[in-house]
Formats: sequence, C-alpha cells, structure tokens
Amino acid sequence: MSASIPSTPAGRNSCLRRLFQTAIAGIVCLMSNEPVLAGVAAPPKTDKATVAASQSVLRVNSTNQPYDFFRPWTKKAPFSRRGLGTLIAGGRILVTAELVANSTFIELEKAATAAKSAATVERVDYECNLAVLRPADPAFLADMKPMELDSGVRVGDRATILQLEHNGEIAQTVGTVTSIVVGGYPMDNLGLLLFRLSAPMQQRDGSFTLPAVRNGRLLGLLMRYDARSQTADIISAPVIEHFLKEVNKAAYGGFARVGLIFTMTRDPQLRRYIGLKEPGGVYLSEVLPGSSAQKAGLKKGDVILAVGGKTIDQDGNYEDEAFGRISFSHLTNTMSFPGDTVPFRIFREGNILEIPVKLESRDPSKVVSESYVVDRAPRFVVLGGIVFMELSRPYLQEWGGDWTKKAPQRLVFYDAFQNELPQDRGKIVFISQILPSPDTIGYEDLDNLVVSKVNNRPIRNLDDLAEAIRHPVDGFQKIELEEDPGILFLDAAAIEKNQDHLIKKYALPALQRL
Amino acid sequence: MNVVNTASLHRLGRMFRFFLCAILLAGTAHAGPIAKSLVRIECTSQEPNYNAPWNPGQVSGGLGSGFIISGNRILTNAHVVSNARFLTVAKEGDPKPRPARVVFIAHDCDLALLTVDDPGFFKGTIALEFGGIPAIESTVSVYGYPIGGKRLSVTQGIVSRVDFQPYSHSGMDSHLVIQIDAAINPGNSGGPVLQDGKVVGVAFQGYSGDIAQSVGYMIPTPVIRRFLTDVEDGKYDRYVDLSLSYEPLFNPAARRALGLKDDDLGVLVGSVYGGGSSEGIVQAGDVLMAIDGLPISSDATIQMGEDSVPLAEVVERKFKGDEVRLDIVRGGQPLQVKVPLRAPWPFNLQSNTYDEDPRFVIFGGLIFQPVDQNFMSAHHPDDLRLRYTFDFFIEDKLYKERPEIIVLSGVLADPVNAYAGDFQYAIVEEINGQKIRRLTDVAEAFQKSADYYVITLAGTGRPIVLERKAVEAARERILSRYGVTREQNL
Repeated sequence: MSASIPSTPAGRNSCLRRLFQTAIAGIVCLMSNEPVLAGVAAPPKTDKATVAASQSVLRVNSTNQPYDFFRPWTKKAPFSRRGLGTLIAGGRILVTAELVANSTFIELEKAATAAKSAATVERVDYECNLAVLRPADPAFLADMKPMELDSGVRVGDRATILQLEHNGEIAQTVGTVTSIVVGGYPMDNLGLLLFRLSAPMQQRDGSFTLPAVRNGRLLGLLMRYDARSQTADIISAPVIEHFLKEVNKAAYGGFARVGLIFTMTRDPQLRRYIGLKEPGGVYLSEVLPGSSAQKAGLKKGDVILAVGGKTIDQDGNYEDEAFGRISFSHLTNTMSFPGDTVPFRIFREGNILEIPVKLESRDPSKVVSESYVVDRAPRFVVLGGIVFMELSRPYLQEWGGDWTKKAPQRLVFYDAFQNELPQDRGKIVFISQILPSPDTIGYEDLDNLVVSKVNNRPIRNLDDLAEAIRHPVDGFQKIELEEDPGILFLDAAAIEKNQDHLIKKYALPALQRL
Repeated sequence: MNVVNTASLHRLGRMFRFFLCAILLAGTAHAGPIAKSLVRIECTSQEPNYNAPWNPGQVSGGLGSGFIISGNRILTNAHVVSNARFLTVAKEGDPKPRPARVVFIAHDCDLALLTVDDPGFFKGTIALEFGGIPAIESTVSVYGYPIGGKRLSVTQGIVSRVDFQPYSHSGMDSHLVIQIDAAINPGNSGGPVLQDGKVVGVAFQGYSGDIAQSVGYMIPTPVIRRFLTDVEDGKYDRYVDLSLSYEPLFNPAARRALGLKDDDLGVLVGSVYGGGSSEGIVQAGDVLMAIDGLPISSDATIQMGEDSVPLAEVVERKFKGDEVRLDIVRGGQPLQVKVPLRAPWPFNLQSNTYDEDPRFVIFGGLIFQPVDQNFMSAHHPDDLRLRYTFDFFIEDKLYKERPEIIVLSGVLADPVNAYAGDFQYAIVEEINGQKIRRLTDVAEAFQKSADYYVITLAGTGRPIVLERKAVEAARERILSRYGVTREQNL
C-alpha cells in the first residue's frame, strides 16, 4: 500500500551519533541509552492515574547484538536499549519491536524496587514495530495490574506519555493528539495508523519505548519523537489490537498488504482524460508483482472508488467513524486480517466493477532485497576467499545514513527497483568482498559485483550457488558476473587444498551459512 | 581514449584547473627571450544556464597563459577559452591587449588554438618549437601568469613521472600527462613548459595544496602534436577509441582456463560498447594479446621504445578512420582483427561540454531537457531512477533504448500544470503513445494536434495529461510571466 509519509529512521542503533543523524532527517528518537543528563524532573504527581500507571509499567532492558553485514560471519559489539514496557492482559509485556531487535538478553526491572527478571520474546513483528515479552518467572508480575487498550481517541484529545525518573518515579508529559494518520512504520515503511501527539518531552535515559495513556488506559506506544517540532508518533491502539489478535491465533498471520501504489486524482485534466465522472477515486499507478492486488486482477490505470463499502475520495481517504478522514490502507492493513476478502469497487475504461481482493501478508522469501534482516544471521558463502552474499537493505545501510548515495550504486538501484525485476529473478547474489588468498591473485580489488552464473548454472539465491560450486567445470570454478570483469576463474582443487588455511587466517567460523 | 573509471572520476572532484578570476599584481622583473613568445590571455565567458535554459547565462572573466607557435597561432588550454564571448591577448612587456579568437578547440584534450587578426601582433615574436618527452628527473621550467600577475613568472622543477591521467576539463577523458614538481598555480594554465629552449608540455591542472604538495601536470607533446595534426584538415575530429573495457589477467587459474601460457601476456575484454569502434569485431571474453604487433602485458601495458605505457597509447596517436590491428584469443583460438577507429558518442553524455547552448522544449509550462553532465552538475538531482540511467548509461548500454535521456526538468507553475509538480526529474517515456528517444521527438509530439497530450513518465505510475485548449490559453501567460524568451532550442 502506498505510504505517503517518508520513512523516518527511528534509531536503528541507539547511540548519540545516530541520534544526531536522525535529527538532521527531521525526526529524532528519544531513545538514547547513553548516559544522558536528565532534565529537571517534573515534580511527581500522585493522582490516581499515576498510581494506576505505575502498577502496569516496568523497565525493559534489552541487550542487542546485530550482525555485521560487512563481515557476515560475525556479530557487532553488543549494546543495550532501555524502555518502558506495559503489562497487558495475559501476562504479556508490550514493547516496540525495535527495543528488542537482535536481542541477546532481555531483563524486566520494576521501577520502585529494582527487582529483576529475565524475559523472552513471545512474538515480535517488525512490520508493525510491536513485540510481546514474557517474564521467565510468571510470578514476577503478580503485584502488577494489566492495562487495557483505549481505541477511542480523537483529534484534540489529551494524552499522557509516561517516562521513568532515575529514582523510579513516573514522569508524565501531557500532550494533545494533533492528527491521526496512516503513516510509514520504521522498519519496513508499511502504512499503518499513527496517533501524532504534540508534547514537549524531556530527554531521559531509558526512553526507547514509552507508553502513551489516557485515564489509565493504553493509547499506544511512542516509537519516534521529533524534538524540534515536539511531535511524538504513537503506534496506535487499533494496530496493537490487530497484532494481539494475531498473537492469539495458532498461526501468526501478521498484517496483510494489498500490494498497490496509487496516486491522487485531483487533476481535473486527468479525470476528464480517463472519463472519470464519479467523484473521488484514486488512480492505481502500480500493482506489485505477486501481490494480493495482482492476484485479484487489479490493474495499473484502474481507479479505486470504494474499498470494503467505504467511498474513497480523490486523495485515497475514507470517512472513518472513529478517526475521521484517513487513508483506506487502514481498512485493508489494520482492520482486515490476512485471509479476509475485501471488495474493491473499480472504475476501468468506463465500466464500474466489483473486485474481491483476498488479502495476504507478504511472503518474505519472495522479496528480492529484504528491507530488514533481524534476529537471524545474514547468509553467506566463501569460496577461495571470494565472499558471496544475497542483497538486503541492511547490507546497504552499513554505509551509514547517506547510504543511497554512498553504497555501491548498482546494488542501491537493485534494491530500489526490485519490483520491476522479472518475477523469477530470485535474490541478487553478489560478491561482497575478496579475502585475499593465493587463489584470488588479481581479484583483490573486486567488490560488490552481481553474479549471474556459476559453473554455467544460473544463480537465483545462495543455495543455487552452494550447489553450483560443487560442480566445477574442467577443474575450474567459473564465476560469471553481470558487469566487468565479466568472468572469474578459480582453481577448484587449489581452493580445496587452501581452505583450511583460509579459515584459520581470517578466523572464519565456517565457509558458508545458509 | 575515454576511460570509464569512477575511482578516478571521484578524484577529479578535488582537482582544480588553473583558471583564475583576475587579481592584479604589479611587478618590474626583467624578462628573457621567452618574453617574445608568451602571451597573457583574458577571457570573458558566459556559463550556460541549465536551470533556466532560455536565459543566456552569467558572464564572468578569467585569466590564463598561452604561447606563440608557428603559423601565427597561439596555443593554450581549452578551459582558458571555453564559452568565450570576448578574448584578448597581451604580449609580455606590451601593455596593449589585442582581441583574439578561437580557431580550434579540443575539449577532450584541453587544448585550443587562437589567433589575432591584427597583422602587427605577431611582428617580432618568436614561435616556440616542440621537443619530446623529457626524461624523468630532468629539469623543466614553467612560464606563465600564475595568480593573476601582469608580468611573467617562471618556476622550475623536475619531471616526476609520465602517466595516464584523467583530464578534468572534460571529466571523461584520460590521456598521457607528465607530472612535475614545479610550482604551478591558477593562471599558469596554457603556459609553456620548456626544456633546452623547446616546449615539452602545456601546464594545465594539479591538486590543491590540501590534497597533494608539489604535484603539477602538463600536457605532453604527443598529445599536443596529435591535436595539431588533427586540425590540419580544417576541423577537429576528436580522439578515437576502442570503446571496450579490459581487465588485467594476473590470476593463474584464469589464465589456464582461458588457454593462455604462463607468460604474463594478454588482457581480458570485459565489455564492448555498442556504437563504438569494436562493436561486432571484438567480443566480451576475448583476450587481447597484441595491438599493432606490440605484445600486451597482463597489466594492460605495452612497451613503446624505452617506455612501458598503457596499451591505449597506440590508439591515442591515431585518427578518425585509421585502423588498429588486434591479436586476440577467442575460445582458445588465436585470431587477428582490424578495428577501424571512430569517436565514441555515448561517452559524450557523461563529459563536461562547453560552447553549447542548453537544449530544451517548453510546453504547457513543463520544461523538458536532455540530461548530460552539464545538466547533472547544475541540477544535482536525487532522483534514483535518473541517477541510475545517467550513471549506467554506458555500462548497461541504455543508449540503445534512448540515445538521449529526456526528463521533465521543471515546471513553470500555472493553472494548466497545477498537478504536474511532483514529477520533476522523471524520465519521459512516451507522449501520446510516441516513444521519446530524443529531444526532437518531444517537439514533434507536441506539434501534432490532439485534444489531450498524455505524457508517460518512467516510474511515476500515472501520466501527466494536458488539454490542448488549456495549453493554448496558458501559452502567452506563461511566457510573459516567467520572461521566457524562447520556447525551444533543439
């Protein structure tokens, strides 16, 4: 689904450096775990709501260790993130997925007593940026009260963001809900409902995840904050409800994607040209290959007039009973579930059609270049010192905040235009680097080259490659590339002879991980 | 020889050319015999405006050096006299500047020939003669007008190395250069470098002090002689090129797999560019063994006399229509081919160009422009699709599909185009079903009468639709409101 809000990085690594980078991008996350001087603490209030809140929130300290995509066989140095988790029904602690991304150890800590318990992730979904945790010892939560969700918020309502002081007291920041929109969620830019709060927050330690509450009920979780505009983006209660419903199912289905991109039809010349006399409607500018929309038969150039019985205006919004005019993606992504069928009313070449679209969530294995690779190791194969990987956005993001300009451009373009590749293209397998060895003489300077064939076999993923290198041609490993130098040869027998030496020299744990 | 080499292009960003806005300094030195050959060149130039392409562009002044050679000609750098609107030259010790004009200009090797129509000008001057390639470590003297002085300046240094280097004026060409350690500064450009009274080079580029110390570059005489020979027929034909890429062949396994001996000879052809000299003659995967009979080492060099030089040097010395003989190994079999040489057109798109008016078409307030290096330098578009199409134009042979990249470069906002503003830098695919391959296609498509003009853009999903009546009604309004003096330059 089209997301009109630009993706805003939300603290992939929680360190001050990253914080400055995101500040330039406009949106800053609060989420530093570096020691930060807390501002002057607001005097603790002891009203009923605060007491209720203090019985439902606790510190979550997560030690995270992402993989190093430049050296895919190793992990980077661990770091910790701290946030506030909220106890919800069923003995679960709700946090943002980013808080526990690549976690190696999670610890719950009660604010008042500093009592601690280890915890595990019961379910995490990076598309909606939510996770539920469970303590190792269920009795740990015995003196706490679960918080209920509040989906009834309206623009103009006031809400409170909770933070913890060093002394364990709860600090409250009251803000106003300024807008309710469908916006991009950080990890995958999936368009889901957001509450946007205007609130003058102070930077405090341990603020990676913060609950936003109203009358002792949970409105959502703060996932990013722009210090300049004092705007907080809140993962909304309807998205949390959707996530929890899926968590309770036997098989987690997550969030569906229709798989289309639309543009507005405000332009009267365009409307007259396509003969669109109906009011409203959006122009379908792209149907993603393999998506629910494509399977249902939606086509580029169709005009979507209504979704699930709700009339769509020329900007792609419908009138939601609860939230006002919001994007129809809310109907398909959050209010519907994978497996549901949603009727689309379409204007096509002068006719009006009703097309049922069966919603599916995305199959990550079919994605050419994944936008996130979390909690699992990147795949690689090393052959005689040549390192092969599959393209993913985290690899490109190793070049830093300006990666679209600094990372190898061909790979950036493959990532950006992956939807335009032939359907059977598979993954982009490439040589990420050369570990110089006697077998790679003359190849030392090669890197970031896309592989087309190995030993005359087409390569659509690393499994193909691992298989192909078992079948040298005339004693050579023959590697064909999409770009110069075009072809590489290695001595198959020499590689085998030298491989123990290579493993030892470069301290490789293995020659491949698939 | 054109080299696709992003690494060196990157370096170019930090190189500067010795071209300077005039700073006037007084001096009273005594000048030697060189004074009868050296000239100081003042150039008033006009930079084309790629953001408002109908405008004539900004006028600026610059200063460089030059010297008199046979035939009442003045040799200098192309970058000293690029985009010239008015030129004067002044002899050393003669206060009177005389109007001059460009006779030939070669942007691919940064050289230009000027003349002065005033017949008295060359009286009493001495035409300098050319020498060869000076030996490494031998001493040379650089003459010119660095940092804007009115009196000639001399610096001295030794020849540090002879090498192929990118020429930053075009940004795409590499030729032989000689690196010297004499101080060369802005204003020296176009000045002669002498050894034993003969010209051994033209000072032309270097690095700024924070990048490297005592590194200056001069254009050596093989490049100068080639230029002078090329223009003998009355026009400059540009360098010719093999239009292929090749890779060193060091790896022993690769050598055996390709059926080569362990003799350190041969380079592997990576790509052959369509439209270039070698298309249809040489293939990717061929191994080049010798060029005009000179064996090619596996590091892509040949032995020319005493010197080891890049194999391209053979082609460098040839002219349009000349042939080059290649010994190749294809599929293990030796083969000899002849390649008739021509200039490689797709490379022009990625070169800085000069003395050209920006081309454009305006229709309904939409500005359409072909994309080239000048356009990219002026606009710096972030659009990924445009950047891909430009950067990989040659490597991915995109020129086969579209000889020119036409983009919607801007919108002169008006009610007629109120909803077209989101598509800046989108590449134009079709207008009313007609494929757009060149700027002339755009002009043609808009000349045809239609109720609607439907402009299909790459990657935007929806077309831009303009109604003929609305465009006609808006035309005069847009032209007068934005001061547009002409609607197209094809």
